[in-house]
Amino acid sequence: MKSTQYSEKVLDHFRNPRNVGTLEGDDVSVGRVGNPVCGDVMEMYIKVKDNRIQDIKLKTFGCGSAIATASMITEMAKGKTLEEALKISRQDVADELDGLPPVKMHCSNLAADALRDAINKFLDQKEAPVGEKQPQASPPEKIPGQGKFLGKGVYNQVTELSPLKDKRILISYQGVESVQLAKKLTAQTPRVVLLTNKKEDAFGIELKNELISSGVKLLFESEILEIKGFEEVEKVRIHDLNEDDEYELFVDSVIIP
Amino acid sequence: MNVYLDYQSAKPVDPRVIEAMQPYFHEQFGNPSSLHMTGDQATRVLNQCRQKIADFIQAERDEIIFTSGATESNNQALIGLALRNREKGNHIIISEIEHISIHNIAKFLERNGFTVSKVPVDQYGQVNPDKLQQRITEKTILVSIGHANNEIGTIQPVREIGEICQQKNIVFHSDAVAAEGLIPLHVKRDHIDLMTLSSNDIYGPRGLGVLYKRKGVSLNPLIIGGGQENGLRSGSENMPTIVGMAKAVDIMQKQMPGEVEKLKKFRDRLIKGVLEKIPQSYLNGHQIKRLPNNAHFRFEGIEGEALLLSLKDKGIDVATGSACSSKTLEPSHTLISLGLLHEEAHGSLELTCGRFNQEEDIKTLLKELPGVVAKLRQLSPLYQQEDQS
Repeated sequence: MKSTQYSEKVLDHFRNPRNVGTLEGDDVSVGRVGNPVCGDVMEMYIKVKDNRIQDIKLKTFGCGSAIATASMITEMAKGKTLEEALKISRQDVADELDGLPPVKMHCSNLAADALRDAINKFLDQKEAPVGEKQPQASPPEKIPGQGKFLGKGVYNQVTELSPLKDKRILISYQGVESVQLAKKLTAQTPRVVLLTNKKEDAFGIELKNELISSGVKLLFESEILEIKGFEEVEKVRIHDLNEDDEYELFVDSVIIP
Repeated sequence: MNVYLDYQSAKPVDPRVIEAMQPYFHEQFGNPSSLHMTGDQATRVLNQCRQKIADFIQAERDEIIFTSGATESNNQALIGLALRNREKGNHIIISEIEHISIHNIAKFLERNGFTVSKVPVDQYGQVNPDKLQQRITEKTILVSIGHANNEIGTIQPVREIGEICQQKNIVFHSDAVAAEGLIPLHVKRDHIDLMTLSSNDIYGPRGLGVLYKRKGVSLNPLIIGGGQENGLRSGSENMPTIVGMAKAVDIMQKQMPGEVEKLKKFRDRLIKGVLEKIPQSYLNGHQIKRLPNNAHFRFEGIEGEALLLSLKDKGIDVATGSACSSKTLEPSHTLISLGLLHEEAHGSLELTCGRFNQEEDIKTLLKELPGVVAKLRQLSPLYQQEDQS
């Protein structure tokens, strides 16, 4: 089946997604699932009153069916008790949309997961409000390939910027100095990626915006598994901690301060 | 009427080609293998067509082998050469951004005892000939690098690669399907030993491809039978499509300079218009070493399939490298090879123009696209963080 062979109902929700937006307030809980790596991110905002979902809003980055399922589930969940809403399954969402192409079933899974995440977070908050956990800075470890390519694309420090001109650079986050270096390098090359094992919210919004506006790409919850190449660095294997997934990123230089 | 900006996937057959093919279904139906008059006529036509196509790439007439399409030509080139040269070596070099058919043929050969090295490309999609040379070993029997990339339109330094291969006495195959009709092809000057062409990509009928094989290069045949095409590709010649492709070449030879100028104008207008009108939009591929009909973008915070479907609603046909539009749910290997993150590859848009595009098509795209991108970004949790900048 072609991936774009959607039912009329899917297309309707894709074209006119319902309940787009965000919610704010003490009685609001936000569920966030997915990962930009796999191509879908969904946020579900719920406002709960008397154990019922009084209002619900969505934000989604994803394909046609991701948008449609997110939209559909907001209609299905509105007004339901938390227990009822928790029972909504991916199949329920797909059925309500008159079916989805088989290859797309994981997208509708995401909508149900996002809602469940929002509800569970709401219930958790009620039971035991927990303080912000401080992310642990992990000690720098030796990565396979780090020694082999030292000076051939792998650098522990950068004294001269010009050899990095126009290179695709990956910097491993090691505190504020690596952030400064990343920003400085954007004057040399359009491609600077800063990688950290920390979660996104461990970076302040100001710092994040500052980095993004200077053109640095951020990779959260990621670690370098291996540095690969022939005579020089050509790519790295990256572990996505959130999805527990591995993938390759093509780079010319890796900076591990 | 739809606005069609996906000439890379399929091209309409030129009406003049269809007209030229007509007589070869009923009136001139002969088989070139027959010795009678009807057969002789067919042989004459076959020879003329073969010559026409050879001239198009500066080759000799008997260096042209007709196949059922570019995929078969790629199979015949890589597998045919590998099988023939097993004694000499078992190492093959391709690039990271070869067409999927080359990648999958290479995988097949790996399963059958060959080793394959993939040369990386730079952030613009170009193979660095030095990195290719580093990978050559005593066992290397074949290098296969496409003339230009089918997705991002980056043109490869084919002549430099050809020279390296010639020096090292290694056979050089180049899939020229994405490039044919858009840049001049010259097998002798570029030291190409094997080259893949497709009929449809120059507005000829589908179901016909060509493998150029330089004299002196030996291949094992894959399709075995009555010994047509010098024993390399058995099966009675598909005369209507051969006549069609020869006519397509004839038209292309006459029109190419003007057509390429027109396409460049459209391409440059698309690139300029999109980058100007849409914030946080980027051009993928090379600024200069780029096919004249290719404009390839990525947009922060949105996903390509949603973009494709939204444009479909506006009557505009486009392509994307997003995972969600592929059978495997994997993003385009070409975009990943540029060093893009998956989320960036997901937000890509490929526009390819062709012979029958009008200025109006470009205007329509530029009118509709900004609104579509803005609407999808409004939905996106990934964009909202970035638009404060």
